[in-house]
Amino acid sequence: MPQLHFRFRFRCSRGTGCVGSCVRIHEKAASWCIVGVVVTLCACRHLLELLRRSAIQGESNSVLIVGPRGAGKTMLLQCVLRDLLQEKEAQKNLLQVHLNGLLQTDDRIALKEITRQLNLENVVGDKVFGSFAENLAFLLEALKKGDRSSSRPVLFVLDEFDLFAHHKNQTLLYNLFDVSQSAQTPVAVVGVTCRLDVLELLEKRVKSRFSHRQIHLLSSFGFSEYLQTVRTQLSLPDDFTDRGFAQDWNSSIQTLCEDKSVEEALQRHFNSSKDFRSLHMLLMLCLSRVSVSKPSIKPADLLDASRLCLCDAKANMLHGLSILELCLIIAMKHLNDVYEGEPFNLQMVHNEFKKFLQRKSNSMYNFEQPVVMKAFEHLQQLELIRPVDGSSAKTQREFQLMRLMLDHSQIMEALQKYPQCPTDVKQWAMSAFG
Amino acid sequence: MIDSVCSLCVSSLVISVEGLPRPTIIIPEQHILIEGDDEDNPYVAKVIRLFGDGEFGEQMKAVVQWFVRVSEVPLSKLKLLGREPHPQEIFHYQGRICDDEVNVESILRPVQVTVACVHPKVLGHKMCTNITTDVKSIKFKNIDSWMSGHHLLTMLLLFQQIMPGTPRTPHQATPSIPCRSLPTRQPANILEEARARLHVSSVPESLPCREQEFQDIYSFVESKIIDGTGGCMYISGVPGTGKTATVHEVMRCLQHAADVDEIPTFHFIEINGMKMTDPHQAYVQILQNLTGQKATPDHAAALLDKRFNNPAPRKQTTVLLVDELDLLWTRKQNVMYNLFDWPTQRHARLVVLTIANTMDLPERIMINRVASRLGLTRMSFQPYSFKQLQQIIMSRLNKVKAFEEDALQLVSRKVAALSGDARRCLDICRRATEICEHSTTNPSATGLVGMSHVMEALNEMFSSAYITAIKCASMQEQLFLRAVIAEFRRLGLEEATFQQVFVQHQALCRLEGLQPISVSEGLAVCQRLGACRLLLLEPSRLGVLQRVRLNVSQDDVLYALKAD
Repeated sequence: MPQLHFRFRFRCSRGTGCVGSCVRIHEKAASWCIVGVVVTLCACRHLLELLRRSAIQGESNSVLIVGPRGAGKTMLLQCVLRDLLQEKEAQKNLLQVHLNGLLQTDDRIALKEITRQLNLENVVGDKVFGSFAENLAFLLEALKKGDRSSSRPVLFVLDEFDLFAHHKNQTLLYNLFDVSQSAQTPVAVVGVTCRLDVLELLEKRVKSRFSHRQIHLLSSFGFSEYLQTVRTQLSLPDDFTDRGFAQDWNSSIQTLCEDKSVEEALQRHFNSSKDFRSLHMLLMLCLSRVSVSKPSIKPADLLDASRLCLCDAKANMLHGLSILELCLIIAMKHLNDVYEGEPFNLQMVHNEFKKFLQRKSNSMYNFEQPVVMKAFEHLQQLELIRPVDGSSAKTQREFQLMRLMLDHSQIMEALQKYPQCPTDVKQWAMSAFG
Repeated sequence: MIDSVCSLCVSSLVISVEGLPRPTIIIPEQHILIEGDDEDNPYVAKVIRLFGDGEFGEQMKAVVQWFVRVSEVPLSKLKLLGREPHPQEIFHYQGRICDDEVNVESILRPVQVTVACVHPKVLGHKMCTNITTDVKSIKFKNIDSWMSGHHLLTMLLLFQQIMPGTPRTPHQATPSIPCRSLPTRQPANILEEARARLHVSSVPESLPCREQEFQDIYSFVESKIIDGTGGCMYISGVPGTGKTATVHEVMRCLQHAADVDEIPTFHFIEINGMKMTDPHQAYVQILQNLTGQKATPDHAAALLDKRFNNPAPRKQTTVLLVDELDLLWTRKQNVMYNLFDWPTQRHARLVVLTIANTMDLPERIMINRVASRLGLTRMSFQPYSFKQLQQIIMSRLNKVKAFEEDALQLVSRKVAALSGDARRCLDICRRATEICEHSTTNPSATGLVGMSHVMEALNEMFSSAYITAIKCASMQEQLFLRAVIAEFRRLGLEEATFQQVFVQHQALCRLEGLQPISVSEGLAVCQRLGACRLLLLEPSRLGVLQRVRLNVSQDDVLYALKAD
C-alpha cells in the first residue's frame, strides 16, 4: 500500500539551517484510527486470530474479506500480517503466496506463480519447469506430503478472488480449499473481493469446501468519525523530528477542520462516497499546494481540491472543442429533444446546423461537407458520440447512425464556461426548438 | 595443493605435492586430479600436453582430456549404460563446454587410472568394460610406497556427449514443503481441543451414521476381490455427505484384512477429476500409480489397454476410485468408456468405484454404451438429517464437554434444514467455539459454548450482507438506489438507462435539499454500486447510455433504506 509521501526542504524559522521535514500521511495511523468503527476492530481481531492459529498451531482455514472498493480490505490484511509477523514463531514458519486475479488470469499461470513463490524443487532461478499437468501434480503432491505438526504452514492471499472463480472448472480454488479441509500441509486461504455475491459464483463442490467465513468491511461510520479521520490523517505524528513545526502544523490542521466551508466540502465528499481512496485523493491534492513559502493548508486549498474532484469530466472536454464541433453538439442536442433520443447521422446533424445558419446565425461560416465530416469524426474519436452497434461496416459514414453520450446538463454547463462563445450560438443552445 | 612450481619445460612439469617428500613429475599422457568445487571429489583429467602461455611463457598451462565421475552424470544418462556403475568409475567426457586448458596451479596430484576388463556392450560406440571382481582386487591392491597416497580408479569407456550447456532441468525434483523449526503447540484448553476435533480434516476412524453404506460398499468390493473379477459401482450424493470418507474407510478395512491374509492382496488407486487439468490425464495418473511409469496420455491409454486386456499370472486385483466423475466427460466420452469397459474384460480384475454429485448423471450425460457398462450398481448418499448431524458432532467431541445441548441441536437443525452438509455444520461449531473463547472477559473461565455464541456464528455464516451494505452506503448511493426504483416504477420495467435514472436522481437531490451532482459523479456512484453487485450494469464504455438493473429485490432495498 503506498504511503502518501511528501518531502520538502526548508529552513526552520528557529534553529539555524536545519534541513527540512517530511509530511507523511501515515498508513498506520489511518488503519488503527478508523476507529469508532467497531466493525473494523472486530474484523482485525478475527483475521489476526485466524492467521495466528494457522501459523502457530497449524490449523487450516479459509476466509473471504468482502467490502466495497477503497474500504481498506488490502490495508487490513497488510496490517494484520505485519502484526502477525512480529511474533518470531510466525515469522520463521509462515510461507506466503500472493496471487492477484488480474495478473494470474488463468490457472496455468497461477500454478506457475504459486510454484515460483513457494520455491519448490522444480523451480530453477525464476523458471518453472514442467507442463500445466505436471505442475499441478507436483504442487498437490508437495502439499499432500506435509502434515499439521511438521510442515510449515502456507498462507495463500488471493486478491480479486471473484476473478479466480471464472477460471475453467475452478480447479485452483477447489484444490486450495480441498487442502484446507484435509489432513495435509496446513494452509490458510484468504480471498479479497468487492463483490457481495461472490459465494454465488462458486461451484457447489467448491462452496462446500469453503468454510463460509466472511469478514465484511462495510463503512458503517458517520460523518464525525470521517472528520476525525481527516484530522488524524493530516496531523503529523508525535515522533516527528521537528517538534515545533509539528505543533504548528497540527494546530493549523485543527483550525482547518473547524472551518465551516471546509466542513461543508467534506460533507459533500462524504455524501458522495465513504471510501478512503477518494478521501486520500482529495487530501493529496490539498497537500500538493503546500510549499516552503506556504507551510500550511488553507481552507481555500481544500475547496479548490474539492472542486477539482467533483467537476464533470466531459464538460471539461467540451471546452477544448472548436466552435464548429460545439455547434454540431448543440444540433445533436436539439435532434435528441425533437426525436426523443433516437439515433441520428451526420447528414441529419448537418441539416440541423444549416437551418441554424440560415435563420439565426450572424457569425458562423457555412462550412463545406468535408470539413463538417472531419469535425464529426473528431467528436467520434473523443467518444462524445458513439455508433449504434452493428452498423459499422455496411453503411457509408455520413449515414451511419450515432448516439450522443452527453447529457443536457453537461452541455449547458460547458457552454457557460466556454471561452469566447458567440452569443448567437449560446442563444441557439438555450432555445427550445432548434 | 602445489607448494611450488619448480621448473617448466615442454615435456614435463615438476610439482611438489603436499604430504609427499619428493617432488612429483607430471608428464603428458598422465592422469591427474584437478581442484574442483568438491574437495572430496576433485576432477579427473588426462594431460595431453603442457605449454607456457602469456608474453614470456610464464603462465604454465596444460591441455587436458576431461573425465567425469559417476556422481556427476545425470541419472537418465546412467540408465543408458544399462548396468550398475561402480562408484569409482570414470567416463571419458567429450562435451564442448569445458575449457580444455587449465592452469597448472589447479593440479592436485597425479592419479592412477586402470582399465578393467573389456566387454562389448550396447552404446554403439566402443566397448564398455564390465566390472568384475578384478576391480576390487585392483582397487585395494597395495601400491608401491613411492606412490602411496595415490588413488586408484578404473577407467571405463566412451559415451555420448553428456550434458548440454543449458541449465539442467531438475530431474530429481522431489515435491515437498519445508519443515517447521519447532513442532506445533498442543491444544491448551477444552475449547482448543474441541476446535481441533471439529476441524473437517480430523476424520474419525469410523464414520457414524454411514454404517449401512459402509457395509454395502465393503461387501461389494470384498466379493470382487475374493472372486478375482471386476466391476463398477456408482456412488452419488450432494457435497458433504461423506462419500469419499466412507470409501476410504472401506479401503482401510480391506487393506487391514489383506494384511492379515483374510483376503487376497489388492492394489488401491485413487484419482480425482478436479485434480487433473484434462480428462485424458486420467490415463497418465492411473499408469503412474500402477507401474510408476510416466507417459503421454495416448501412450498411457495404450499401455493400460494392453495391461487390462491380456491375462497375466499372479495378477492382483486393482481397486480404482474415481472422484468427481463428471469432470472426466469429453465429447466422445472415451475416457469414461474405457474406465467402465476395462472391468468387463475377463483378465482385468479391475474394480471401479465412481463418485459424483447427481443421481441421474449416467442418464443425463452418458451415451448408452457407456451408461450400460457402468451398470446398475448404484448407491445414493442422502443428506444428513438433524439427528445424524448431532450424532456426528457428539462422536467427534467424544466426551470433551464443550457445548451446551440446545446449542448443538440448534446448529444441527439449522444446517439440516438448509443442505444437510456435514462440513458446514462442523465449521459453524468451530466458529462458535472461537466466538466463545474471545467473548469471555476472563480468559481462564472457559464456559461452555452457549446459544448466544452459536446464534452469532449462524448469523455470520448464513447471512447475506446486502441489507447491511445498503445501510452503510453513502447518501448519494442510497439516493441513486431510490432513483432506480422510482424510474422502474415510472417505466413499469425492470431496466432503465443511466440517463433516465439520473433525471430521477437530480429530482431526489432537490427534494432532500442537497446540491445536485454532476454527471461524472453520478457515473462514479453508479460504478461503485455495480462493483458491489447491488446493481447490475452494462459495460462502462457505454457511459450515460448504460442500462441498469437491480440485483436485490425492491422490497429489500426499501426496507434497508427505511430503517434509518
